[in-house]
Amino acid sequence: MGSEGTSTRNLKGLLLIGPPLAVMVCLLLYPAGVSIVQTLQETAADGSVSWSLARYHRFFTDPYSVANYVRTVWTTVVTLILLIAICLPIAIYLHFTRSRLAAVVQALALFPMFVPGIIVAYALIRYIGPNGLLQSLLEVVGFNSYSSPYLTPWGPVIGLVWDHMPLTLLILTAGMAKVSQEAIEAARDVGAGYVVIFHRIILPLMVESLLVVMALNVISLFGSFVIPYMLGPASPEMMGPYMLRTFSEVRQPDFAAAQAVITFLTCSVFGILYVVMLTRKQDV
Amino acid sequence: MKRREFLASAAAAAAAIAISPRLAFSADGAVEVIVGSDQNVADFWSNVVVPALQQELPDLVVNVTVSDGNSGMMALADRALAALKTKSDPQVDVMEAFNPRNTVGAIDAGLWVDFSKASMSNYAKLNTLAIDTNFGLPYRGSQVVLAYDSNKVQTPPKTWEELTAWIKATPGQFIYNRPDKGGSGGNFVRRAIHEANGRDPSAFTASNFSKEKADAMLPPAWEILKDLAPSLYQGGSYTAGNTPSLQLLVSGVVSMVPTWSDQALSGLKSGELPSHIKLAQLQDLAFVGGFAYCTIPTNATNIEAATKLANVLISPAVQEQIVDQIAGFPSIEWSYLSDEIRTANADIIPKSIPAFPDGEWEAAVNDGWYRNVAPAIARN
Repeated sequence: MGSEGTSTRNLKGLLLIGPPLAVMVCLLLYPAGVSIVQTLQETAADGSVSWSLARYHRFFTDPYSVANYVRTVWTTVVTLILLIAICLPIAIYLHFTRSRLAAVVQALALFPMFVPGIIVAYALIRYIGPNGLLQSLLEVVGFNSYSSPYLTPWGPVIGLVWDHMPLTLLILTAGMAKVSQEAIEAARDVGAGYVVIFHRIILPLMVESLLVVMALNVISLFGSFVIPYMLGPASPEMMGPYMLRTFSEVRQPDFAAAQAVITFLTCSVFGILYVVMLTRKQDV
Repeated sequence: MKRREFLASAAAAAAAIAISPRLAFSADGAVEVIVGSDQNVADFWSNVVVPALQQELPDLVVNVTVSDGNSGMMALADRALAALKTKSDPQVDVMEAFNPRNTVGAIDAGLWVDFSKASMSNYAKLNTLAIDTNFGLPYRGSQVVLAYDSNKVQTPPKTWEELTAWIKATPGQFIYNRPDKGGSGGNFVRRAIHEANGRDPSAFTASNFSKEKADAMLPPAWEILKDLAPSLYQGGSYTAGNTPSLQLLVSGVVSMVPTWSDQALSGLKSGELPSHIKLAQLQDLAFVGGFAYCTIPTNATNIEAATKLANVLISPAVQEQIVDQIAGFPSIEWSYLSDEIRTANADIIPKSIPAFPDGEWEAAVNDGWYRNVAPAIARN
């Protein structure tokens, strides 16, 4: 490579990233840009085009749409909290244990990665649904007041936690690699308890991983479709099913596009956070 | 080749494939059938309809492809219409389960073959109840019926009034799916709309939609359904499709659901639905049902073979298989079918099949139900 001039190298570099960039621009950025612009345009009967925020005004003044948006935010926040509450202890356990049980736990936690969402949804209907396996098992041990979360707001939360566990756990276990055994032992030597170790050593080292977990999960949870569609209530619904329904069943593609832009803007806050995290890491 | 050069050329090749125009794969004279229904119907075409035609034309090649539901079919029809204007190949010969009225202006533009003038020997056998337009060939029907658990319900309701009285008297034992997620719940909702408008299905046609009309005719139906909501399963839950409703019925959670006749009959036949599940139809005005139509674009490359396929489709032999294998209603008169099949299905032969238009009415129903009926749930 040394004999090649800088310009040739630059050209080769451009050639290398050119095709994927071209595909992205042609198939993703351009059509997305066109539809974003169209949500801001109003075509009059005579064909003249004017700029207008009417669709966004409609969205935020329509109590039904706002209720769907709020439900999406609620589902995302609750699912995210549950995901971290479940996966962080598992990640810590996996980091400090080298037993066969740890391998089993890890395999079980990663298993959902290989199961498609629609299968999970139907399996969960049978398991947590009314007269399902869970209810039967609970009745065997004498618990008779089970109320199924199927078709309630908790249905999608349970399904989404299951679905997003592997990714969360992978990121958190990777983050735990920064926590060294020596640091923990040193802290123990000076008398630190579990709470202090978690609060003063593990948590500060994990902040970055937790932010990545938050960014990636929010983006994926906010736009999720199959699980809220299958397990959730008819109303309020999450943005994913609402957008599709507005597009194909209510046949208002322009309003569906406005809903998509609102969803996209909400998610892009977390997308930017993720990109900032990545670039900051490279600077170090 | 150096690794980097290799990567560069591989990336360029991949990009070239990705951005080059779509290649036409159907240039070999094969008849392209696009199925708008599910895989079971596509299998029926591959295993029954196509072999029936191949007895006559052994060299014929037919590709049966499943499209992405009705929106996929709409896009395909739009493409065929555009191809008609530019005189190019629509890349489809037969569209299964597509209502030719769905594409605005296509009938007037001459996009669809007029089956009544296509000199098909079996056309005269069609049941006149089934013909909607000459441009869509009806070939199998189904209708929404009530499926009930006969261990818990001794006498099924015979009228809408009896049905709603039963729902209110046994709270939590009935559920229907969201109207846009499957026709069983959708047509239960449409039956309420018919009830609120004098039980007159002819009040709704594909061309008489207006916003004012919808605002006057639909809200009374929302009131009927809102009034039922507290007596439904979980005080107003709605499943996300035809199959989840049947799941709840089979697991004994509810005792009655609306269901598609063909889905229930084939479930009963295969044992998926236990034998204590029985079917009933309302006698004052039946639930909405309909026929699946086939259309053939007039600019189709293989129009001759496609028309022959259509003729075989409504032959008594294939129609008997529709009753036998996919539990549909035949679109030809029952008198053309064998005595054996006729007597075995005496209970389900429909006396009338009320209809409800697609298009703008459907969109208004879907939106109105979600805004007015679904939010009435007071929970959590």
